[in-house]
Formats: sequence, C-alpha cells, structure tokens
Amino acid sequence: MYVEYGSPLNGRRLLETVAFLNRSGLDCEMGIEFSVNLLEDGKIVASGSMQDNVLKCIAVSKDCQGEGLAAKIVSELKLEAALQGKTHLFLYTKPENRSLFDALGFYKVAQTEHILLMEDLKNGVAQFVSKIPKAKAQPVGAIVMNCNPFTNGHLDLIANAAAECGFLYIFVVSEEKSFFSAQDRLRLVKEGTAHLPNVAVQPTGEYLISSATFPVYFIKEKDRAAEFNSALDLTVFAECFAGPLGITRRYVGCEPFCPVTRRYNRQMQRLLPEHGITVIERPRFSIGGEAVSASRVRRLFAEGRFEELRPLVPEVTYWYLMEVSAK
Amino acid sequence: MKIQKTAVAGTMESSDIMVTIAPNEGNGMEIDLDSTVEKQYGKIIRRTIEETLKELKVHDARVHAVDKGALDCAIQARVKTAAYRASGEQSYQWGGEAK
Repeated sequence: MYVEYGSPLNGRRLLETVAFLNRSGLDCEMGIEFSVNLLEDGKIVASGSMQDNVLKCIAVSKDCQGEGLAAKIVSELKLEAALQGKTHLFLYTKPENRSLFDALGFYKVAQTEHILLMEDLKNGVAQFVSKIPKAKAQPVGAIVMNCNPFTNGHLDLIANAAAECGFLYIFVVSEEKSFFSAQDRLRLVKEGTAHLPNVAVQPTGEYLISSATFPVYFIKEKDRAAEFNSALDLTVFAECFAGPLGITRRYVGCEPFCPVTRRYNRQMQRLLPEHGITVIERPRFSIGGEAVSASRVRRLFAEGRFEELRPLVPEVTYWYLMEVSAK
Repeated sequence: MKIQKTAVAGTMESSDIMVTIAPNEGNGMEIDLDSTVEKQYGKIIRRTIEETLKELKVHDARVHAVDKGALDCAIQARVKTAAYRASGEQSYQWGGEAK
C-alpha cells in the first residue's frame, strides 16, 4: 500500500480524489488544506482531509472496509495536526459511521440529520459550557455575535434584549478569522456593556460559529450562500448551550446586507423553536436612515474617516480604533 | 521533563496505540484511555502510561491514548516518544531514568 499526501492535493491527484469521494457519496469541500490518500495498484482505496482543525471527507472504498484503513487515515491526519500545533480536533462524518470513530478516540458533540460532529476531547463541549456562569434570573436570552468591531448597532440590540430578559448571555465569536482579534472584540463588548448588570459576555470557544460548526460563515461568497447549511451550528447551540444554561430566547438583528447571515437567521427561525427557543429578530439600529453595521465601520476605518464613524460606535470602540490606527 | 506542547506518537492500527500528550501545568496527570481491551487490561494500560511518564519525571500532563491492543513494550515506546516530542527534549535516555 502506498501513501500520498497533499497540502493540498492538486491537478490529476485532486481530480482522482474528488471522483473517489463522489463514489463514496461525499462531496469534496472547498478550503481543504491537507489530504492523505492510501493507494493500491495506483488506485485510491481510502482518503481523508483536514481543514483548519476539522477532519473531514474520510472515506474507505467498499472492497477494503474492515481492514483498518480508516484508522490509518485518521492516524496520519492526527500526526499532521500535531505537527502543525493543532491541539483540539473535530471530525465530520455521517451519523451512521459513529461507531467507527468512537473506536478512534472521537466523541460526539452534536448531530443533524446528515452530519455528525465529533471532537477528540472527552466531554469537551460539556466541560466548556459547565464553566460558564449560571443565569441568576429568568427568562434567559442569548445573542451570538462577532462584533468586528463592537458598534452602537450591537449595543442597541444588547440593551433592548437585556431589558426584556432576566439574564442575557452575549457569546462573542472566538474564531480568529476577522479583521480585529478575538481578544480585542471580546474586551470591547465586555467594557461596552459593563453598565448592564444582567449581561454576561462569554467567548464562543470552538463551539459556536467556528470553523468546526460553521465553516462557510468565514468564506462568505455570495453565490455559495444558497447552498450552505447552518443546522449543525444551531443544533450545537440548542443542545449543548441553551439546554444546560436554560436559554429560551435568542435575539438577532435583521440582516440587510450579508446573504450568509440572512440565511442563517432564516434557518434559526425554523430550527430553534423545535428546541423550545424563541427567536426574536430586531430591526437594525440606524442613524440618518442608514443601518449601522460593523462592515460599514470597517470601511470608514480603512479610509481613515474617524469622525464619520464616531457616532456609529461606543466610545470604547472609538478609542480602540484610534489606538489601532496609530500603530 | 516538562511538557511544553501537544505531541503525538503511534498510530491507531491494530496492535498499536496512539498517544497524545498535552501540557497540564499544575494539574497533575490526567489520562483518557480508549481501548479495545479496556475491560481486560484498562487498569494495566493506565498504570503503564503513568509509570512510563513518572520514569521520565513528567508530573503534569494530559494524555489521550487510543489503544488497539498494544503490548506493554509498545505502550512504553509510544508514551516515551510522545513525551520527548512534547517536551522538545532531545537528549534521549531510552534505557534508564531521565535527568
């Protein structure tokens, strides 16, 4: 048996891999960074790939199942992940393959009809959520936001939701794929909401709107917006977060611009009520007839128009942006 | 020996064990084991992992081991290799005790 690696695969080897995955009933996804194939007599008999910290597109040909090839593929991927310094791995597979990956040291996070998300930490998500402080009053609401950077639009949504809830969680996206760092985004929301006593600001960790639960969010190509499915991310929210934390409301801002977020909001309206969570969509906060959005703030920031962006953001964000631009 | 980063040794193929060792500063030794022979040998495997790390003077470590029926000697070899990789230590003392 011959092993081939690709970081990522290209040319003929990529085409052969895509064809092999299609025969196994899998799509080859965009954005894969590393793949490993096992070949016998020049033909692919098993394949697996990695994107960020997620192992995916793992398949073994029908005639070679039961020979431990999946174990070899996952071993190779784990070794490569460790070399790249990745410490926490996720895995996508079809729900019917769960027992195979149970035996390879992966544990279930959540599953939808079509996809099972697993991780290589025992009780990883349960432990993460157990460290979040408990709500002190009912009803409990939640908002998941990126805040890139924190604007008066975010603050408006938070303040209104906090007034309606006994307790409100703000989950700020931890994934480092935004213009401003996760640490800075989290700090600005914490400082900008410090005057609201019933609000807790928490990082999402790797479990909400992350490359593991929602990879397409960070690709944001308009023509792909119609294809993606955010059911996995919403299921993790409902089962792993809302359940243990007693969250019964999720607030979102209407999305006038981004098609990915708009579709995400629509799926939220459809899926969360099945878990007993009410979705409350709020109109965008606007100034002078124009909706305040983080993308608009970033645009003004890039063009150096600080006085124009000043009314759009809380003071704490304004001073932060001045500091960043001075560097 | 101090565990500085996450490192892996071994495979998940039959008769082998894949050992992942990660830092666990000040929290002692934590071992998660998945084994095909957990019922029969789980305790012994855990003990072997722990003793091998003690021999290397590793006190704080998070270990995740996926065992596919490895023999004792294979377990020791994989644990030592993973620990050396995780510590960045290169003066190997394969036989005896670490400094």
